Amino acid sequence: MHRRGVGAGAIAKKKLAEAKYKERGSVLAEDQIAQMSKQLDTFKTHLEEFASKHKQEIRKSSQFRVQFQEMCATIGVDPLASGKGFWPEMLGVGDFYYELGVQIIEVCLALKHRNGGLITLDELHHRVLKGRGKFAQDVSQDDLVRAIKKLKAMGNGFGMIPVGGTYLVQSVPAELNMDHTVVLQLAEKKGYVTVSEIRESLKWEKERACHVLDHLLKEGLAWLDSQAAGEPQYWLPALFSELLSQDVTPEEANQMTP
Amino acid sequence: MSFEWPWQYNFPPFFTLQPNVDTRQKQLAAWCSLVLSYCRHRKLYTLDVLEAQESPVFNNKKIERKLSVEAIQVVFEELRKKGNLEWLDKNKSRCLIMWRRPEEWGKLIYQWVSKNGMVNSVFTLYELANGDDTEKEEFHGLEDWMLLRSLQALQTDGKAEIITMDDGKGVKFF
Repeated sequence: MHRRGVGAGAIAKKKLAEAKYKERGSVLAEDQIAQMSKQLDTFKTHLEEFASKHKQEIRKSSQFRVQFQEMCATIGVDPLASGKGFWPEMLGVGDFYYELGVQIIEVCLALKHRNGGLITLDELHHRVLKGRGKFAQDVSQDDLVRAIKKLKAMGNGFGMIPVGGTYLVQSVPAELNMDHTVVLQLAEKKGYVTVSEIRESLKWEKERACHVLDHLLKEGLAWLDSQAAGEPQYWLPALFSELLSQDVTPEEANQMTP
Repeated sequence: MSFEWPWQYNFPPFFTLQPNVDTRQKQLAAWCSLVLSYCRHRKLYTLDVLEAQESPVFNNKKIERKLSVEAIQVVFEELRKKGNLEWLDKNKSRCLIMWRRPEEWGKLIYQWVSKNGMVNSVFTLYELANGDDTEKEEFHGLEDWMLLRSLQALQTDGKAEIITMDDGKGVKFF
């Protein structure tokens, strides 16, 4: 009986076996690649069909867009990542959000002289819908948030501040830190805030409160009301409920400094 | 037709002179616009400062806010700088409000004259401002001092000549 695995013959045999495995391996790999390629082609065709079938839906339905985004997130695709590319071009998703971004900028610019560059998401939504007219495509607040995130990434000075369950959209590069943000949140309820209210709610020293309020005045986000009973009130046009959905009149437009 | 108040009118801080320079500029521009619109709507040509304080323009009873006398003076000074206001006395207690400047009035009057083929005719000032023919025109009811200035503006332009007649002044259009 021969003993296995020992001797020159065994080594040579092993080497031959290894070579055959390697060959087999590369053959396998080639196979797999050919198969994957075929699958990708099929996938691509399916995708093209999907795209043409649903392009309309993407433009029309905000619910569809949400589901689509969620699906993309699951498979690790960002359909909004840089304008060019398979997805944005295929489905026109990029176009939709790009156009929306432009509209958002227009609305914010038109109202900046009024509110200093701060607007509630509600008001922004209302005006965007208004601007799109009767046959408007459905635009949801989710759409707005995504478009704004895009704008933020492109460095347009945009930001979102969470207040009272919704957001304040900031469209000017005013420097707002945590202290400012928290005071804005406090002001959201009544549209104004006082030094006492800040001290009571946030337990701050008077100086800190005054510092923040002065900054808001300086940035043109707040106006001073010194005729209020008790102590001065600091009002934010962005949060002034009576101002919501009040159009810019020709008179007002004439007052805007170039 | 009732007057449409701008959004600022119901915004309490609007009645406080703003400490921030940029905001104050916006505020004053809005006040000037409001005063002129209100005077135009009520066809007011003169204002008395003390009376003005109680007028609805500067005193919003609904929100319990009013512009202080100092602030009113600031607004008026702004209007004066823009050519829409002229003080009638040294004490600055009374002023002329020109929500339309003389040149603009002159233009309107001349348009009416030429549209009706009345160039080269002579009119008395009374006829122009109070005649039946001009009843539907915006310049109907225009106060004498403003009418005269408007015609003077046209005169400077060579479009009219003010004539002195027996019982007053008249004007010939070219």
